[in-house]
Amino acid sequence: MPTAVLLDSSLSMTRPVSVEGSEEFQRKNLAVHGLTMLFEHMATNYRLEFTSLVSFSSLWEVLVPFTRDYNTLQEALNNLEDYDKTCLEAALQGVSNIVQQEWGTSCPCQVVLVTDGALGIGRGSLRHSLQTVKQRVEDKKFPLPFPFPSKLYVMCIANAEELQATDSMDNLEQLINLNGGEGQIYTMEGPLCLKSVQSMFGKLIDQAYSPFHAVLRCGNLTSDVQVFPRPEPVTIDEEVDPMPRTVQTEGDEIGTGATDDTEEETSTNQMAGKSPNFCVLLHGSLKVEGMVALVQLGPDWFGMLYSQADSKKKSNLMMSLFEPGSEPLPWLGRISQLGPASDAAENPYGEDDSKSPFPIQPKHKRSYAQNVTVWIKASGLQTDVQKILRNARKLPEKTQTFYKELNRLRKAALAFGFWELLKSMAELLERECTLLSDSAHPDAAFQLSHAAQQLKLASSGDSKYAAYEHNITPMLTDFSGGGGADRI
Amino acid sequence: MFSVSHKTAFVVDHCPYMAESSRQLIECDMLTKSRSQGVIPLAPVSKSLWTCAIECSMEYCRILFDVYPTWKLVNYIVSDSEVHILNSWKQEDQNTHELMAALAAVGPPNPRQDPECCSVLHGLVAAVESLCKITEYQHESRTTLMDTADRVANRGRIICLTNAKSDTHVRMLEDCVLETIQEQNKRAAGSDRLMPIQQCELVLVHIYPQGEETLVSDRQKKELSSMLSSEVHSVRAGRYLASKLNVLVQQHFDLASTTITNIPMKEEQHANTSANYDVELLHHRDAHMEFIKSGDLHMAGSTSRDSGLKETVTLKWCTPRTNSVELHYCTGAYRISPVDVNSRPSSCLTNFLLNGRSVLLEQPRKSGSKVISHMLSSHGGEIFLHVLNSTRSTLEDPPSISEGCGGRVTDYRITDFGEFMRENRLTPFPDSMIDAAGRTPVERAKSQLERYTRYWPMIISQTTIFNMQAVVPLANLIVKDTLTDEDVLTCQKTVYNLVDMERKSDPLPISTVGSRGKGPKRDEQYRIMWNELETLVKAHVGTSERHQRVLECISACRSKPPEEEERKKRGRKREDKEDKTEKNGKDTEEKGWTTDSERLKGVMEREKDEQSECEIIKDSPDSPEPLNKKPRLATEEQQPPEKSKE
Repeated sequence: MPTAVLLDSSLSMTRPVSVEGSEEFQRKNLAVHGLTMLFEHMATNYRLEFTSLVSFSSLWEVLVPFTRDYNTLQEALNNLEDYDKTCLEAALQGVSNIVQQEWGTSCPCQVVLVTDGALGIGRGSLRHSLQTVKQRVEDKKFPLPFPFPSKLYVMCIANAEELQATDSMDNLEQLINLNGGEGQIYTMEGPLCLKSVQSMFGKLIDQAYSPFHAVLRCGNLTSDVQVFPRPEPVTIDEEVDPMPRTVQTEGDEIGTGATDDTEEETSTNQMAGKSPNFCVLLHGSLKVEGMVALVQLGPDWFGMLYSQADSKKKSNLMMSLFEPGSEPLPWLGRISQLGPASDAAENPYGEDDSKSPFPIQPKHKRSYAQNVTVWIKASGLQTDVQKILRNARKLPEKTQTFYKELNRLRKAALAFGFWELLKSMAELLERECTLLSDSAHPDAAFQLSHAAQQLKLASSGDSKYAAYEHNITPMLTDFSGGGGADRI
Repeated sequence: MFSVSHKTAFVVDHCPYMAESSRQLIECDMLTKSRSQGVIPLAPVSKSLWTCAIECSMEYCRILFDVYPTWKLVNYIVSDSEVHILNSWKQEDQNTHELMAALAAVGPPNPRQDPECCSVLHGLVAAVESLCKITEYQHESRTTLMDTADRVANRGRIICLTNAKSDTHVRMLEDCVLETIQEQNKRAAGSDRLMPIQQCELVLVHIYPQGEETLVSDRQKKELSSMLSSEVHSVRAGRYLASKLNVLVQQHFDLASTTITNIPMKEEQHANTSANYDVELLHHRDAHMEFIKSGDLHMAGSTSRDSGLKETVTLKWCTPRTNSVELHYCTGAYRISPVDVNSRPSSCLTNFLLNGRSVLLEQPRKSGSKVISHMLSSHGGEIFLHVLNSTRSTLEDPPSISEGCGGRVTDYRITDFGEFMRENRLTPFPDSMIDAAGRTPVERAKSQLERYTRYWPMIISQTTIFNMQAVVPLANLIVKDTLTDEDVLTCQKTVYNLVDMERKSDPLPISTVGSRGKGPKRDEQYRIMWNELETLVKAHVGTSERHQRVLECISACRSKPPEEEERKKRGRKREDKEDKTEKNGKDTEEKGWTTDSERLKGVMEREKDEQSECEIIKDSPDSPEPLNKKPRLATEEQQPPEKSKE
């Protein structure tokens, strides 16, 4: 997940820290030292992640847009300038904007705020921002909570006592609360020196930038993998199951399916080294066969592995995480019910690979996949009536369609308790009968009056004729005799 | 998980007054001009209040079942002088077909029934009782949670469609529901199959005929107690009621509306012209999350044509194409339900999608830049609205797998592993499918993977037997859980066949990776092959007695006992060294051995520039034993034959 570093460049950051030994440091130097450590860690362990550097005082400025080039970030750290006072709200708004512009609002992002905890005075100070947080108009809302999933880490180049002496700590805590509790405040322990800043950033690295190492296992074939971006724990149901679920580091590949769509967040797998590696074998075969492998990430949590190529012919093994649960993709059914195809009585993929047991069809068709009757709009009803009349005029050729449509109307009218419609339809059919031309087939008249009579009987509510599952069948006449093809 | 929307009880008033006409007239006699002469058109029909209530509630259920085929349950209750409960909370009862059949059996209200003994109250009481009944989902959760079972909540909603007399009448209905909840909760406390109601939302919809003044006033949601809230909607029958229930289903189930615009459709009358149509779809509102958060919603949205109340996001149809790259940035998929399901544009769109086509949807932007934000596509007969990531992806420009661990190894058994994957493909089994050992299908799949990979060298140069067609029958059978006598026979035949090959001194596809010379001699090759075959079979010997018999067969038939072999090998090592220089010339002829030699040549050539890697390959845990020993012997000897060829 991308990181936006927000570095305080106000004048107070140039305050010297109490000297111990010969070297004299400003707080800014300590901040740079800590961030250098973070960037070095990321360059080694997180080189696929994007990071941006923003400095702020009363204004804010993007020093380095999101990049994987940690040299550029380091260079920018070495060329910092000092500005005026601290205005955190504007800077947070700025970070919110650049993250949204770059990644949208669904991509999770970590924001690392580095400050000395002197949060400004008067208008533009954090204290002032927080006091007025409830009196904002729509377009001047406080930037927290960020509209994207986020963690806000506040790295204080100050120790806790110093911050508690003023209301800085309270204000920072309030900031984390405004972000829905997503984040943490780090302070320095003991004297302000290189060692304590290292220890503080070390804690941040352990918390937020530990690489995700895992073992991918397919029976006895295994491979050590690192996953980018790191899969984060998920809480599915706060009420019934409030424990966040974490991805187990033992990924069990449980077999392969032949679907080819992906949902949910995606991670890249990346490894380093040279001996034969199961991941490379798996990737190669998945790519050649156009298959995906199902992978188990924890109890009732699954994902899939597949080969993804970008436009430049480079391909890599990708893992998509499904939403936790026993049935993440409806068209695969319950994952626990997926077993080896060789156990099936008949090969579900066909002897020549021409078939597939997927997708699984739902038990009941959706309304748009079955010919449902809806008469909410008058036009719906009129269309259905006209359809019957159109077929009525083409009797006996259209006998089958005529009765099919008639029965559809009859069923809906009975369910809706719309008996009046049945009577009207019967009258319309009777009138059609009288309008038949002399050249009309004699069977047409018989069928029309038979149908009209049946509708009238149904509209009486007599259980013998008004049963829902009952269908009106064509009348057997001398004219229709033998020509069984037309009958339902 | 068990929010108010888990359970919805519909209570529809079936009292005589519901038979009254809605006074919305529908002309169904649409005479064509040529036929209309001299014919008196039929009087228009009009629906009763009951018919209006039924069709709108069915529409509510249709949308609900389309978008939530599971977990959101409806219990349908009809009330007159008695209670008719048309279905249960069971998942199998949750479909409109069953409800329609049950409604047909109830029929329209009887206007001649004694109004004194009819009331919607019976239905409301039944609805409260029903909300106390545990659903399959609640039961399952309680069973799995065991000691924290009390976390499973019981909430629900009652939607009552009725014709009330007055505001006082409405208050009386509310009081009755509250009292019943209190009573029923006491009863439920002492029962396993019942749960007390923690929260109930009562939605009273008063329906009155068109052209009349309402006797009941609208009222916003109000808390009547900690358990019960109530709201009153006073609506004219007909399309007003329909749009009210459409708004309610959206509110109750977090739905949002998307209108697909610019759908090109052939005109029915003029087949070669096409016009553009709009289709409105409902789906979970999370599909609009990006718009909501970025504040684009009001910009993208326009008002829905029908209701005039709710917002819809307009997205433009893009010429269909399927490009798998787009799929990879999909961040979510949501079921849809068309608002106007059987209109021609709707059914055209849904049939197009059900036939396996996809439609990309474009977000209209002021700037004119084209942003594809969604995609419509079906899976297994269900249509989903897919959300596509339209911003930069953190996954861009991933490194090639060849840059990583094992990326430079070139002789992976890609084709063989492809075959392995096909043999291990998954298929769904019925819910009751648990084998004798109590394993679920997925556990069986994992155990099959374990068996199939007990001995599975990853690269061609690590194996001999898997490069030999002659071994295939045995290799395919030995990994199986059970063998028949016939299978054992096939394995034995394979072994005899190998013995025969050895007698005839047929060449073997032995890897020469790591060896400088032409590779091992023929009898040495067979020793390596037998050792590897034994390794494979030994890995499965514990599976059954029949697997054991296969190993016994190999032990009995294979060329020489290992001790003797070892002694001989030591002797030959010296011999080989002496012969080395003169043998070099013959190597080129002998290389024509097998069809596999071509493949091996590649391996050998690669080996030239990757000498350093040889060590690593040899030490791989998957390397068969004999190879580990042999190449090391060979490396001591010098002069790669390729050099003399050039």
